Amino acid sequence: MTDAPDIHRSEPAARYTESAGRYVVIYVCLLILAALQFVIAYSNVSTFGMFARMLLIAIAEAGLALLFFMHLWAEKRGFLLFVVIFTGFVLLAMQYGWTDSNRMDTGAPYSQPNAGVVSQ
Amino acid sequence: MSQADLAMEGHAPGLVTGIPPFSVPAKKMAIWLFIIADAATFAGCLVAYGFLRNGTPHWPTPFHSIVNVAIMTFILLTSSLTMLFGVRAAKAGDKSAAFRWTLITAIGGIIFALLHIREWLGLIGEGMTMFHNPWGTSLFGASFFSITGLHLLHVTGGVIALLAVGIRYMGGRYKADDLEVTGLYWHFVDLVWMFVVPLVYLLNLSH
Amino acid sequence: MHDMSAQAHVAHHAPPTSFIRKHIFSIDHKVIGKQYYGLALVAVFVGMVLSWLMRLHLGWTNLAIPGLHWLSSTGAPGNVMTPEYYLQLMTMHGTIMVFFVLTTAPFAAFGNFFLPIQVGAEDMPFPRFNMMSFWVTLVAFLVMISSFFVSDGPTLGGWTQYAPLSAVGSVAGPGQGMGVILWASSIAIFCIGQLLGSLNFITTTLDMRTKGMSLWRLPLSTWGWFITSVMGLTAFAVLMPACILLILDHVAGTSFFVASNLVLNDQLQPHAGGSTLLWQHLFWFFGHPEVYIAIVPGMGIVSHVLTVNMRRPMLSHRVLVYSMGALAVLSYMVYGHHMFVSGMNPISSIVFSFPTLIITIPSTIIVLIWLGSLYGSRLRINSASLFALGMISMFISGGVSGFFLAQPSLDIMLHATYFVVGHFHLVMAVAAIFGIFSGTYFWFPKMFGRMMDERLGKIHFWLTFVGAYCIFMPFHYAGLAGNVRRYQAFVDDYLQPLIPLHRFITVAALATGAAQFIFLYNLIHSRYWGEKAPDNPWQATSLEWATPTTPPPYDNFGGKLPVVYHDPYQYGIEGSTGDYVMQNSPEKIQSVGEEA
Repeated sequence: MTDAPDIHRSEPAARYTESAGRYVVIYVCLLILAALQFVIAYSNVSTFGMFARMLLIAIAEAGLALLFFMHLWAEKRGFLLFVVIFTGFVLLAMQYGWTDSNRMDTGAPYSQPNAGVVSQ
Repeated sequence: MSQADLAMEGHAPGLVTGIPPFSVPAKKMAIWLFIIADAATFAGCLVAYGFLRNGTPHWPTPFHSIVNVAIMTFILLTSSLTMLFGVRAAKAGDKSAAFRWTLITAIGGIIFALLHIREWLGLIGEGMTMFHNPWGTSLFGASFFSITGLHLLHVTGGVIALLAVGIRYMGGRYKADDLEVTGLYWHFVDLVWMFVVPLVYLLNLSH
Repeated sequence: MHDMSAQAHVAHHAPPTSFIRKHIFSIDHKVIGKQYYGLALVAVFVGMVLSWLMRLHLGWTNLAIPGLHWLSSTGAPGNVMTPEYYLQLMTMHGTIMVFFVLTTAPFAAFGNFFLPIQVGAEDMPFPRFNMMSFWVTLVAFLVMISSFFVSDGPTLGGWTQYAPLSAVGSVAGPGQGMGVILWASSIAIFCIGQLLGSLNFITTTLDMRTKGMSLWRLPLSTWGWFITSVMGLTAFAVLMPACILLILDHVAGTSFFVASNLVLNDQLQPHAGGSTLLWQHLFWFFGHPEVYIAIVPGMGIVSHVLTVNMRRPMLSHRVLVYSMGALAVLSYMVYGHHMFVSGMNPISSIVFSFPTLIITIPSTIIVLIWLGSLYGSRLRINSASLFALGMISMFISGGVSGFFLAQPSLDIMLHATYFVVGHFHLVMAVAAIFGIFSGTYFWFPKMFGRMMDERLGKIHFWLTFVGAYCIFMPFHYAGLAGNVRRYQAFVDDYLQPLIPLHRFITVAALATGAAQFIFLYNLIHSRYWGEKAPDNPWQATSLEWATPTTPPPYDNFGGKLPVVYHDPYQYGIEGSTGDYVMQNSPEKIQSVGEEA
């Protein structure tokens, strides 16, 4: 009556034969963004400001790569949401610990300031 | 609700017929799941690095030149582009072009790895190891080598995968889809590098 | 089988003929499932013997246990356990039970065997990965066991392997050098195996469902495995780098997890600058999802078994699935409740406490759905359904103490006492084990083609049920009395009165453990000499009972994939074969239960 679902079936080829020009445009965008990171590295801002800017740019780069190099944009919207929400959630859940990082700075509860001098 | 036939009220038709809800074939699904897991792995390492860096006063910032890392970034990004061309050619049925682009991508990966190893050797020559470096806390070398080492491992694996899949694709054992799946992994390696460069290199530049 | 004309034709591979391909390096998910089950049996036996040794030592501290010096001449000189060796055995008990029993048996063993059949597939999409997943896990187990036989024995750091003692090497005690390296290697290898397994489980569920098998027509057990594999995918992926960093601290001289100026045995440690809390953050980011990785498959199995034996569907199939999903999501947001007394930022404690209290809501909903569905049903009493009831009982009893522990202010007093030990043994370990037993009694006929002995099964249940309460309920009392866990002897004044209690627990543990040999006998005897099982002994509806032979043929459905017409649990209705209609039966349903 029916055929078994063909799990290894090919997808419509048309979806991946977008113009090569589009790839090049994205590629150039990525190069510019990457260059921007290098520029920021030499700008005169605090480490945290630098980190925040670079991270934002990296996220933008990752977004471009995900959407157009890895073709998430051409997949079903549900799949895009699945990947982005799932990954984003897990990565966010990993960020709970940050406040404990600063506790080392103030010497509480384990470490002393100037950690690292012992080895010298 | 009674249902003696296949129709189920309130369900998208795709859910009823056993078609994958995302219309993503199994191999591609698997590589995406692997990418999600691998993203968590890298994030674990990067969070650990950030945690330690943030908590350590006088974190060393010894890097003087960005030339090498800039070239590496350029090469890796470009290899992503050539990979795209390869998959595109494969989907269009142009086998030899697809194989050629895949080879170029693999060569890009090899150059990247060689540049990376050269940089490592340079740093080791300056006295930087996993447990000691001339500039301050030993965590600097430890986290640098761990994170870039993990990435280098991925690049190496990617090069091997590209060559293996490319050759088998040329031999007819693998299809364009398999090349695409390998490409997804390669783009992911590229994507991770976009986070590794600013966090591990650029934040540690000496001014 | 009902209507074979409604089955789809599939091209299938020829089954392997050589012994090695068929039974050892098999790519058949059913063989792999059985292999996982065998591994879990070996592991649970090792873990149980370790717990006996620990309990004997706790009850009678200077007791010579005959033959113990064969296991370790330094750890048990004159057959009497040293304090360090007690901790080593405890660590191995926890590690083996959590990783190689609670993760492999309900998830990898039953999931491998039944998930593809329940979705109507002839195999998983990546059978070779599946085979690798088992063999990698086996290697991990062997590496773990090998640490018993290296220089100074296995690690004594506890299954959580807290830094800095886990990261500074053998100065921290016997087994903290090579033992930790082997431990961390084993766990890292294990993570790879589970990653491969999870990939297969998720793609099978999403992509391999047969015609008509919509997501909402998946049985609850399949949902349990699916949700678990989604959790496992990312949880193990974070544990692996954590273990590798721990290994680097040992072999490469790094100090990720060791703070500066640590003095051990009057020696200033050469490590500097790391963070002990970092290990806990990374470990528990895995560790808490792991708790749900252990219990959610059990929930799925128990729901499946109960539905079959209640002869009616759950009050709400969907809410049950959503609740299991909510557990998975929340499990990533609560891990800090293991760290309330770790020196973590106190504000984090509140941030973690809130979702921890929230996570009781889906747990409670699941329990209420079970109880509400059971209420007024004419439950068939057999070994499988008894163990399912037992699982619910254990889950409630253990879960109630979770309400106390979720609050930082109460946890400060209860943390690291036997109260916590009692809590997690009931809610996670025993409940999951009861789920495994329930699944075993239920699916054994399909797995091996023979029925298990019901009378022995019921005896096994009552002994285990009463025994488990006798062991773990007193733990709560001891904990409230201030009995700190991981003490190898109770020498303080305030602990002396508790020694009789601990002796009672020891006796209960030995007796309950002995009762498991009834199960083992039943398992082995039934495997070879049990009554031949019919294709569908429980009159169940899901696809694993629709296979043309029992045990299922190599490609599960004899070359024709079934077509699914109904929701998974069509019970309590008038079907042509009785009070149920199978999922692949095309017949019309006259009256349906509550669930649609």
